[in-house]
Amino acid sequence: MTRLPPVIMDNGTGYTKLGFAGNNAPSFVFPTVIATRDASKRGIEDLDFFIGNEALSNSKTYGLHYPIRHGQIENWDYMERFWEQSIFKYLRCEPEDHYFLLTEPPLNAPENREQTAEIMFESFNIQGLYIAVQAVLALAASWTTKEKKDYVLTGTVIDSGDGVTHVIPVAEGYVIGSSIKHIPIAGRDITYFVQQLLRDRSENSIPKEDSLKVAEKIKEQFSYVCPDIVKEFQRYDQEGDKYFQKYNGVHSVTGKSYEVDVGFERFLGPEIFFNPEIASSDFLTPIPEVVDNVIQSCPIDTRRGLYKNIVLSGGSTMFKDFGKRLQRDIKRIVDLRVRKSEELSGGSLKATAVDVNVVSHKKQRYAVWYGGSLLGQTSEFYSYCHSKAEYEERGPSICRHNRVFGSLNT
Amino acid sequence: MSNTLRSYLTAVRSTLTAALCLTNFPSQVVERHNKPEIEALSSLEVVLNPLTISRNENEQVLIEPSVNSIRISIKIKQADEIERILCHKFTRFMMLRAENFIILRRKPIPGYDISFLITNFHTEAMYKHKIVDFIIQFMEEVDKEISEMKLSLNSRARIVAESYLSQFA
Amino acid sequence: MSFTKHVNLQTNKYDNSLEPTALDATVVDFDGVVYRISTPTSKNVILFSLSWQCFPELVKWGVHGMLKKEYGPYFSAETENGYNFTLEFNLKVLPEAKEDREELVNKVSLIKRNLLAQPFERAFVQQRQFEDEKQPNPTPDLMQIQYREQEAIYIQAQHDRVTVIFSTLFKEETDRIIGRVFLQEFVDARRHPTIQNAPQVLYSNKEPPLEIRHLPELQSLGDNEEVGYVTFGHPVPSSLYKTRCKRGNHIPNPTLSRLPPLSYKMFKSLHAFENASTCTSFSESLE
Repeated sequence: MTRLPPVIMDNGTGYTKLGFAGNNAPSFVFPTVIATRDASKRGIEDLDFFIGNEALSNSKTYGLHYPIRHGQIENWDYMERFWEQSIFKYLRCEPEDHYFLLTEPPLNAPENREQTAEIMFESFNIQGLYIAVQAVLALAASWTTKEKKDYVLTGTVIDSGDGVTHVIPVAEGYVIGSSIKHIPIAGRDITYFVQQLLRDRSENSIPKEDSLKVAEKIKEQFSYVCPDIVKEFQRYDQEGDKYFQKYNGVHSVTGKSYEVDVGFERFLGPEIFFNPEIASSDFLTPIPEVVDNVIQSCPIDTRRGLYKNIVLSGGSTMFKDFGKRLQRDIKRIVDLRVRKSEELSGGSLKATAVDVNVVSHKKQRYAVWYGGSLLGQTSEFYSYCHSKAEYEERGPSICRHNRVFGSLNT
Repeated sequence: MSNTLRSYLTAVRSTLTAALCLTNFPSQVVERHNKPEIEALSSLEVVLNPLTISRNENEQVLIEPSVNSIRISIKIKQADEIERILCHKFTRFMMLRAENFIILRRKPIPGYDISFLITNFHTEAMYKHKIVDFIIQFMEEVDKEISEMKLSLNSRARIVAESYLSQFA
Repeated sequence: MSFTKHVNLQTNKYDNSLEPTALDATVVDFDGVVYRISTPTSKNVILFSLSWQCFPELVKWGVHGMLKKEYGPYFSAETENGYNFTLEFNLKVLPEAKEDREELVNKVSLIKRNLLAQPFERAFVQQRQFEDEKQPNPTPDLMQIQYREQEAIYIQAQHDRVTVIFSTLFKEETDRIIGRVFLQEFVDARRHPTIQNAPQVLYSNKEPPLEIRHLPELQSLGDNEEVGYVTFGHPVPSSLYKTRCKRGNHIPNPTLSRLPPLSYKMFKSLHAFENASTCTSFSESLE
């Protein structure tokens, strides 16, 4: 029998991405949520639960639980049941016929890996398991845009989802844990900011109960990153017709349609990454500066590699020209520093220019999953997995460490 | 508790208490080594005669004493193949976590289901009577656990079968 | 059985508001079914291919007729390499209405069920001939479908019932023993007064049931401990079949006979044991 494709599961705090290796998009994306209830039904109540969107729609009669908090699995019992339905009800595959690739956040405790391995091998009887770090997979996903010789696992990953943005440096497949930084600005904050802008402008046509949804839609459909905020304002003032757009919505209760003018919020939304002071008062470091700080705090011999390969991942990095602006701003900071040190040396030193490169690609939204899919379809994947036989022989501790791979085929 | 079980456990308890007479004893063969002699078997004169306490042919305890360590192996009752796999799963689960049980051996002695290895360091760190209590308690409860698991396995199977077939009714 | 993932994959593509995109996805289903959904030539033409190792056997029992009937307009003359058949959807000539499209997606997603249903339908037809006194009794086929490696379904019409036999093979001893416990309960469950109407279930280990005992390949298996047989008899009036056929649930789900291995959950309460050094909490183990 031909080998069936490995299963790629990326369980994030917000959403779970499920699919098979080799595909270019996950087959399922749904919220990581499980709905259970206590009502006793002759001892099989543990089978009475829903996950994902079905869980949300049953939230009236069932209690909702989020098994993953801050990227880490908090409730193993719920997680096991979540996996159970993911595999049997959604993917519809027999786990004993497949290898599995799971993902974990950076700095995950090895005990969690052990626990995961135990559930996967004991409960699901899978053929083999590989647990990959999300940031490393995001780097692998960026290979789509590159030549084979540039398939490296060194780079800085900017992962921005709904709740939080991480900047994670990775050197040769290993996360430099001490240098990771979090930015409390992500998709949700942009949505709130857009909503605020619309409200401040007293845009009356939006029904109150839909205002968050409209803000989200506007963010997704119209937003982009501008090169210069002042010039952009001028441009809008001078030739507004070219830039102002209209959003057509339908009232969720009455079914009436309405129109919303979309103006400055088109570029102001994503701008909060670059000028956080316009939206928040407690976090004020712009994202290019955070990235620069992160790289500067890394070991000196890795820095060039980290500047050269800054990879975007997650839905909130999808704004048009986000990469371009980031690259320009980081380049500015770096060049300034290089010039300063040349000046300080009194002209006796000449530095080689630092190559700053921000990589945008089409698979950014599900970059982690896609990276897993790429690695999972290679033939080496199987040799890097922990197989069922190894597990039986040595126990769950084998999964404490997962060898880095992918960097070898350069 | 049936009478035969009680006398069986009493026999195990008193033998264990007597056997747990351990002293620090560095290796006579290798300098600065201190190995459980019952495992290392490097100097046979410090290994004592093993002893088997048997309730019946399916339930036995093997106690192998030595000067600084003692090995206890237990054969657990397995009436049918369900009990056999339940027992296997149960002991395997424990042995995978042997470090948490301190005195548990990662592998049983051939012919037995589970083995414990107690060294003089254990008896120095823990109360001797508590160690004996632990082993006796394990023996007392393991049978109960396995038969309860078997019952719940069967009732689970019944519920599943009934729920499935009731679709046709 | 609904194949949500294909529905999911395809509704995306059928959504009018979206531009057609290039896609190439391989997905699997229970029992080693592999589907490929791709757009090799143009973004408007979606190919849907299926491969299943028992397909040649299904062809023997007239599955092509079913495919023609159900998926006729989409049946592609050319079959993708490595697959059993290919359906071709040209986005430009698909029905316009959203409901129609959804129905089509649903129909495609039921394809595995429809394939497997074919031999059952055939058995039901033959069984009806037995009942119909005007027609001569047919010689019913013993239809064998090797739906997994080393596991098969046997279907045969008899004068008062249709017999379905699943051979099951559990590779691991644990699965086999627990499987036997569960399957034995299926046999016993019928004693329960409320489910007397359910089809009769028999289970045997090693020994093939009478209906298929003569098959040479089974005799060669001999005393293989790993093999078991589950027999479902359907002694229901034929009128019932019709309604059930429509509902699509008259076919016992072959996946049911594959039980998950002993649950990790059984042992989770042992964690308490680690700390307290007591076995007592272990009792509620098997939920």
